[in-house]
Parts: sequence; structure tokens; C-alpha cells
Amino acid sequence: MEVSNSNFRRCREVRKFLVILFVLLFLFSLGVAKVKPIKLGAVLPLGDITGRQAANAMKLAVKEINEAGGVLGRPLELIIVDDEMKPEKGAAAINKLATIDKVDFFIGGMSSGVHLAQIPILKKYKKITVWIGAASHLCEQAIGPDADWYFHLHPWDYQQGASYAIGWKAILKKYPQVKFDRVFLAYEEGAFGTASYKAYLAMLEQAKKGKGVYVGLVKEFKGESFKSAAFGGGDYRAVLRHAKEWNPDVFIWAGYDADALPIVAQAKEIGFAPPIFIGAPPGWPADFGKSPLSEGIVLYGMWAPSLNKVSPVAEHFYNAYVKEFKEEPVTYFAPLGYTNVYFLVEGIKKAGTLEKEKLIKALEQVEYDSPLGEKLKIAPSAIIKHQGFTKQKILQWQNGKQEVIWPFEVQTADFIYPFPKWEDR
Amino acid sequence: MKDDPRKKITLMVTLIILIILFVLKPYAIIYGVQRGSLYALVAIPLALTLGIVGILNLAHGDFLTLGAYLSYWFFTSLGLDPTVSIVLIVPLMFAIGAGLYKLTISRVLKAPLLNQLLLTFGLAMIIEESINLIFTSRPRNIFVNYASSSVRIGKLQFGVYEFTYTLAAVGVLLFLLYFLKKTKLGKAAFAVGQNPRGARIIGINVEMIYLLIFSMSVGMVGIASALILPRMSIFPLVGAPFTLKSFCLAAMAGLGNLKGILWSGLILGIGEAVIQSIEGYSGWADIVFFGVLIVVIITRSYRGSYS
Repeated sequence: MEVSNSNFRRCREVRKFLVILFVLLFLFSLGVAKVKPIKLGAVLPLGDITGRQAANAMKLAVKEINEAGGVLGRPLELIIVDDEMKPEKGAAAINKLATIDKVDFFIGGMSSGVHLAQIPILKKYKKITVWIGAASHLCEQAIGPDADWYFHLHPWDYQQGASYAIGWKAILKKYPQVKFDRVFLAYEEGAFGTASYKAYLAMLEQAKKGKGVYVGLVKEFKGESFKSAAFGGGDYRAVLRHAKEWNPDVFIWAGYDADALPIVAQAKEIGFAPPIFIGAPPGWPADFGKSPLSEGIVLYGMWAPSLNKVSPVAEHFYNAYVKEFKEEPVTYFAPLGYTNVYFLVEGIKKAGTLEKEKLIKALEQVEYDSPLGEKLKIAPSAIIKHQGFTKQKILQWQNGKQEVIWPFEVQTADFIYPFPKWEDR
Repeated sequence: MKDDPRKKITLMVTLIILIILFVLKPYAIIYGVQRGSLYALVAIPLALTLGIVGILNLAHGDFLTLGAYLSYWFFTSLGLDPTVSIVLIVPLMFAIGAGLYKLTISRVLKAPLLNQLLLTFGLAMIIEESINLIFTSRPRNIFVNYASSSVRIGKLQFGVYEFTYTLAAVGVLLFLLYFLKKTKLGKAAFAVGQNPRGARIIGINVEMIYLLIFSMSVGMVGIASALILPRMSIFPLVGAPFTLKSFCLAAMAGLGNLKGILWSGLILGIGEAVIQSIEGYSGWADIVFFGVLIVVIITRSYRGSYS
């Protein structure tokens, strides 16, 4: 009897201990779950490939960072709002993220038109903003020189234009057989194309006066508009014929992805094969590389999958993205979205705090090796204090892939010149 | 049939202008005929629906988009050439047209015009957004070598593929003229278009005719869909501009004048091409398109006669 009584007392003690242990564990888990996340509010056009892939890349970055233990002992939480490429929706998204979601930072962006509507709202909240969209200098003017909370990663339009000149001059030096004297620009008649044409005119006017990076590059320039297929056009034969008659060294078309294959097909049809054939749309159609007509087309961009050959960071990003989303990244907004998150996180780690002034100083000092094949460092641009990337790359379609021709530090293939004859394909 | 001297004079003047233009701007004539044929090919089915069923179909251009994506799917999944896929696209689009007619259009035929417009507008939105969801907005292309092939005649080098639009437009027109004038079903449809109440009284199944004509119209748009795929990038909104241009051609030709659609298409196509051939004036092409349309409609109204 005494033995069974002591066993019973022992069992009761063990049960009591286990109950206390479970209660403590439960309270501990609650405590861990209550660690406040650092909230990133992203605004992107999710209906467009650029926004969709940028959002995916941000999610990937957040996942990697959280799996590595988060930042300052806190997880990241990413809240994405679709701006539908509409200015009013973009502006409303900022308000929503600030007032309802109470985010700590604003990130994302694509369209300049949307961003112009967002800027007054951003100025209201003055949260640290790291923006990957908006190339238009009008946005830079709207932000102004006093917004020390604003970090802009995408090159401005004038920086892009300047980088093309720097790149081509370097290419001309490396490949002396290349000529760049006569340039014909076919531009879509809407805001995008017309802005490109005016930008070229302005840069060449400066060059005539001996100023700017285009000095000594282009001797003659001609431009003509066309109606983009994106807006019901799609017949380029007249403008191509005029270009053919003018016999340029360089033919550039500034339009949309819907124009890409039809314009080269029609160039083939009329027998127009200039020595350099450049396409400058914001993106390329899904099947462009599969067509033999793509061979030798030069393009401007910030990234290409071929960078995997020369950049371990680019390779890691690409493989991780494909593994996570079972699709390839096809737009530079994907690695740019990834960079967006990592750049901010590097700054937070450097500052050791989310306190605004210290974080701004830390972000100014970050040097991040990005999957775009270059180091991201902050420096002033024409108006704002905090500009990230300042140039694009010169690429060329070769064997269905975009290869980097310039900068030479990340060159992945030799420049094919002149543009291959249509009969040879 | 009396010879109308005004028609003869108009024909002579038109021919002379065309000859002069061909001498001065041969490419404008070639491209204009090609492009104008495409406008006519897309507009003829709309004119058929408008003339017989009496409905303004704001989803007409979106059926063109739908057919193009079907043709794209056949090409990428089954390796079927677009021109060959026409034999599948046409009956498929016919079936889609029949289904949509039964589910939606048939219910608003007696409704106010605004309701009809809203319904077909809704259809257009559903088609566009569905395509966007499945394929995204990113343009799609296929490559077939023959689509960019060209011929050289003397100093002229021009593409030949787009003459398929001309062949198809003429073929569809001849088929419809034969169908409407020589077949029993076609004559019944013609009668319904003239006077639906009278047709019903004499025993014609008007609802069946409406179903048939609407489905035929959507089916015929499938021909254009398959033919444009090798030449154009397709995206969810690619067909939308054709809705307006088709209405314009139907208005220009006059209700029920299918032959007039072809001529109107050619006139407007050539007009556009001539303007585009003048350096620096390509932006005027749309202005000329709609300007010519307005002039023709006003002239027709002034004369007080519709064919």
C-alpha cells in the first residue's frame, strides 16, 4: 500500500511538471510570434510582366532573408499593392500602405506616370522610400533636392541616354571597324517614343555646341514617327523604306514590345539591313529570341540571364528565382526587385536600427553586389541626393539569347558587326 | 439595269488617280491594297451581323483577338501552321459564336440599343481579361519564314504574304454573295435582314437565322485571326482597334452593302498608305482615315441615297 501511494504521488508530480512545461512553451511561442516584423510596402503593376516578376523577386528576397534569421532579430513582412499602372491607384496604394498597413518603408515602382501621382503622397509621409521605377526626369524634378528620405535605383532617362553614348564610344574604340556617324531613329508617335526622339535631339544639340557625351559620336541624325502596334498600328514599311533610302550606319526603333518582331520581319521584307539595328522597347515579347530574325539585334537593358556566366550573384538570383517560381525571369525588373529588398536590408544591418537619420546615413554607404552585374552605390544625380544605378548595358541578341556587349567588365559575348544579312539566316 | 453615268465617271476618275499614284508612289498602292483588304476582311462579318441580326457588336474586334490566340495555341502546342489551322479555327469560332449568341445576344435583341451595346461591351471585356489572365499582356509572336518573304519586280521589292488578306476578303465576299443570293438559307437570311416581321409571317425561322448569321460572322473572323498571326504581335487588345474601323467601313459602305465594304476598305487603306509614304506625315494617317469616312458619309447624306 505504501509503495503504491508513493508511485501515485510521483505520477502526480510528473504530471504537474509536464503541465507547467507545456504552459511555459506555449507562452514562449506566443512571445516569439509577437516579434514585430519590419514591414515593407511595395507598389507594383501586377498585371504587367515587370511588376509581376519584380513582386516575385521581392518575395524571394524576403524569404531568403527571413530564413537566414531576419533583420535585427525581426522578420520582414512584404505587403504588395497593385497600382494597375494607373496614377490614381498608385497614389491610393501609398496612402493605404501608410495608414492601414502602417508599413515602415516604401519600395517598388515602375511607371513614371504613376510615380508622378505618388510623389506628393510620399512627401506627406516622408518614410524612407527605395524606388526601382520611374525613369522620367520629370519625377526627379517633382521629388526635388530636399527629399533625403528618397532613394532612386533606376537610372534616369538622361543617364540612360548618356550611358548609351559612353558605351558606344567604348565599343568604337574596341572595334574600329564599327561606324556610328549616321543615325536614324524610328519612334512610336506616343509619349514614350516622342520623348526618346526629343531626348536624342537635345543631346545632339548639346553635342553640336561641343557639350555632353555625344560629342564626336553622331554626325547626322534623322527621326520619323510610326504608329505602334500597341495602339492599333503595326505597319512600319513606310518608315523603314525612308530609313533604307537614307542609308544609315545605325537604325534605332523606339516603340513597344508589340512592335519588335513585326518591325524586323518588315525590314527583312523590304531588304533593309543596316550595319547596326537597335531595338529600344521597354520589354521584349515572349518569343522574340526564338525567331531567327532576332539574330544580331542590339538592345539596351540593365540585365540579361547571360550575366550568370560572369556574376555569381546573378547566377544565384536566377537559379533561386527559377526554383521558386518555376519560370525564368525575363525582365530586369526581376533582379531589380530583388536588389530593392536586399539594398534596404543591407542598410538596416549597417545602421543597426530603423531610426531614420541613422538609416539614411547607412544607406548612403551601402555597396551592394547586385544580380544586375554591378555594384550598387548611392551618389547624387542632377537633382536628388540618393541615386543608385546610372547606366544601362548594351546587349545583343545572339542565338536566341541576350548577350552583354558592354560594359566590357561583364561582357558575355563578342559584338556581331555588321548586322547579319537576311539571306544568311 | 441602266448604266449610271455618274458611276462610270467616278470609276474612271478613281482609276486615273490610282494609276497616277502607282506611278508616283507604287508602294503606297501595294501596301494600301494589302492593308485595306485586311480592314475589309474583318469588317465584312460585322456588316453581315449588323445588316441581318441588327446588332452593334462591340466585341467584334475581340473575336479577332480570340481567334488569333487559338491559332497561336495550335501553332505552339500542335505545330499547326496558322494558314492550315483555319480549317479548325473557323468551326471552333462558329461554335463559340453560337454558344455566346444563345447565352447572351439572343436575350437582348428586343432590348433597347443601350442594353445591346452594354452586353457586347461586357463580352469584349470578358474576352480581353480572360486572355490577359491566361496569357498575360505580354505580346506573343510566331515565326514562319514565308510571312516576311518578298518579290522583286524591276526596282520594286515588296512583301507578298499580305496579299492573302486580299484573297481572303474577296473569297469571303464571293462566298457571302453566293450564299445570300443563290442558296435557300441565304435567301431566307436576306429576307430576315430586309423585314424580320414579314419573314416570320411567311414561315422563316427568324431566331435560327439570327443564330446562324451571328455564328457565321464569328467563324469568318477566325479566317482573319489565323492570317494576321504570322505578321502581327498578338496581345489582349490587338483586335480592339478593328472594331471601330469595321464600324467605320460599314457606315461608309452603307447598311447591307457588302461589296461596298471591300471598296471602302481599299480606299481607306490606300489613303492611309499614301499619307504614311510622305515623310513626317505618318501621324496624319488616322486623321485621313476618319476624315475620308466623314466626307463620304456627308456626301451620301447630301445625295440622299444609300445602296
